[in-house]
This record gives sequence, C-alpha cells and structure tokens, in this order.
Amino acid sequence: MRAYSIFAVPESLSSADRLNRRRMLARLGLAWLIMMQVMMFAFPGYVRDDPMSDADRSFLDSAIIIMNWISLALTVPLIWYCAWPVWQGFIGQVRKLRVGMDVPVALGIVAAFVPSVWSTWTARGEVYFDSVTMFVAFLLTARYMELCARQAMGIGKTHEFIEQYRSVLSIRADRIAFWFTAIQLGLTAVVGLVWYSYAPAQAVGVMVAMLVISCPCAMAMAVPTAIAAAHASLLAQPDTDQSNLYRLVCATGQVSRQNLYGSMAWHVLMMPLAAVGWVQPWLAALTMLLSSLAVAGNSWRLFRRQAHAAQAVHSPRVVTG
Amino acid sequence: MEALYLLLPISLVFVLLIGAAFWWAIFSGQFDNTDEAARSILQDDDSTAPRPADEPKPQSQVSDPSGARKE
Repeated sequence: MRAYSIFAVPESLSSADRLNRRRMLARLGLAWLIMMQVMMFAFPGYVRDDPMSDADRSFLDSAIIIMNWISLALTVPLIWYCAWPVWQGFIGQVRKLRVGMDVPVALGIVAAFVPSVWSTWTARGEVYFDSVTMFVAFLLTARYMELCARQAMGIGKTHEFIEQYRSVLSIRADRIAFWFTAIQLGLTAVVGLVWYSYAPAQAVGVMVAMLVISCPCAMAMAVPTAIAAAHASLLAQPDTDQSNLYRLVCATGQVSRQNLYGSMAWHVLMMPLAAVGWVQPWLAALTMLLSSLAVAGNSWRLFRRQAHAAQAVHSPRVVTG
Repeated sequence: MEALYLLLPISLVFVLLIGAAFWWAIFSGQFDNTDEAARSILQDDDSTAPRPADEPKPQSQVSDPSGARKE
C-alpha cells in the first residue's frame, strides 16, 4: 500500500483534471481559513446577552459591529469563489428542471446570507455568517473527497465487472436522492411558513438548518467512495480469481447500501429536530460533515479489509522470497 | 481595550495575506509531486568512477592539498 497525501495533486492525471483538482484544493483551503476566522468573529454575538455593565455592553456592541463587517468582507469571497461549483450546479439543475444536491445548498446559502447582510447593515439582529462559512467549508470537504475518489478511479484501470455494477448502484442512489431532496424542500417551505407566522425571529435559523440538513452530500458520496475502494483493492491484488471478485462485488454492494441507507436514516432523524428548532444552523453543518466522514470511513474499511486479506494471502511468498 | 479597533483590521489583513500565499502555493505547484524530493535521494548518481568530463577537476583538487602541505 502506498501512503498518498490526498492534498497532493497526482502526476498521472490529465492537465484538465489537475487544474480541476488544484482549484478544488484552493477552494477547500480558503473556505476553511475563512471559516476559522468568521467563527471567531461570531463569538461576541453569543455572549452579548450575558449580564454585564452598560459600559461593557456598549463596547461589546461596537466591537460586534466591526466584527460583523469583517465577517461580511470575508464571507463574500467565500460565496463568490469557494462556492462557485454550487452556483454552477444550481443554474444547471434549474435549467433542466431537476432537483439535485445543489438546489438546497444554494437556497441554504442565500437564506442565511441575505438576512445576515441586512443585520450587518442595520447593526441589529442575528448574523449567520459563521453558519454559511461552516456549511460551505464542510460541503467542499465532502466534495473534495468525492473528487479524489473519482479521480483515483480514473487513474487505475477500471474493472469491467465493477463498472457494470456501479452504473446500477448509482442510478438507484440518484433516484433516491432526488425524491428525498424534493420532499425535504417542500417540507422546509411548509415549516418555514409556520415558523414565520408564529416566531418570525427564529424562522431564518430554522429554515437554514433544515436546508443544510436536506443537502444529501453524504448520499452523493455513498456510491463513488465504495466503488473507488473496490477498484483500489483490486489494484492492490490484480490476480484476483472469479470467486474472490464476486465476494468483493458483494461487499461493495453491501457497503454502498450501508452508506446510502445510513445517511438517509441520519437525515430522517435530524429533520424533525431541525423543524422544531432544536438544531442550530452551525450544528446542522457539523452533523453534515460528520455523516460525510462516516461514509468515507465506511468505504475506507472495505479497502482496508481487502488489503489485509491480500497481505494474508501474499505474506508466505514474501517470507520465502 | 481600544487596541481591539486596531487589531481587528490587522487580523483581516493577515487573513488576506495568508489566503493569497496559499493560493500562490497551490497554483505554482507547491502541492504537486510531494514525493519527488524523497525519491530524488534514491535517484542520485552514486558512481565513484570519474566521468570523462570531470577528469580535469580531481587533478586540480589533488594539487591544492599538496600545495598546502608545502607551506
């Protein structure tokens, strides 16, 4: 097994793929950098309502105004440059009248960003810049891992049998994700309206949290990472016979299903919690990252298990040779 | 406490500088080929036999120490 840095751009990629990889890495890194800063600048907003003297509060308020403006200045390039693939995907999906992953993401960013700009301008009310930056940074992390998995798949010679299996799996995953997202968007609109009529101040937070949760990033990663793991383990032991191959394909299907239904169960569990207002937008973004990492980890386990099996088979030869 | 009004803009400038440096590092290829440096040590030319082009050099190096010994 080779130790590969996922942050390094592999030499064997075509130049277009390399440029794509570099751009995604730049987007990812800048998003995380901005996220860290904006999260820090969001901190005073959380302690503003604690008991303190009037002098302290007026000082804190003026500091919060400056921090909100700095957060705004940092969030604009994040939305413009880092989230560029989201806007591209959104426009493409709206043109084709399809509800894909980018629709709830784009709506979530807009729903959190526009009220925050208004709050910054009028110097009153909540800002959600920290949630926006976390959302974009975590989303890009999931996308970057997915890109690495797909490109790793392109480098190695793809196995025909697994490829056939892949198309079957991805069609099913796409269909599930489509209906899931469409239903969740409708639900978000209804819940948002209800909240808006009863507690307008919290409506934005609840809607952002629900839109963030309805983003099926983990589902989008479910199939590519498993498949990539299967290819990688085949590359590690090219002389696999038919029965082992069959076992590998079965394991791949199992992991893909685990990934898909696991992330779906996660969404179903989180959605009502967000609807009643228990999940803050930043918490929703964090759970999204965790579910994506869980999917990647589950696929990684498949690769590890196969690699271990390969080592067990090959080790006697190594000892004698 | 008023130092905060100075420190906050400075922090913004630093973030922009770090972001710009990171951007430059990626697109100038600092993240490409990360294992090349480790591999280069193995691809080093370790042969001891003097190559034809290098022949005059060892002679001059030998003459220098002898000159030093005379003094």
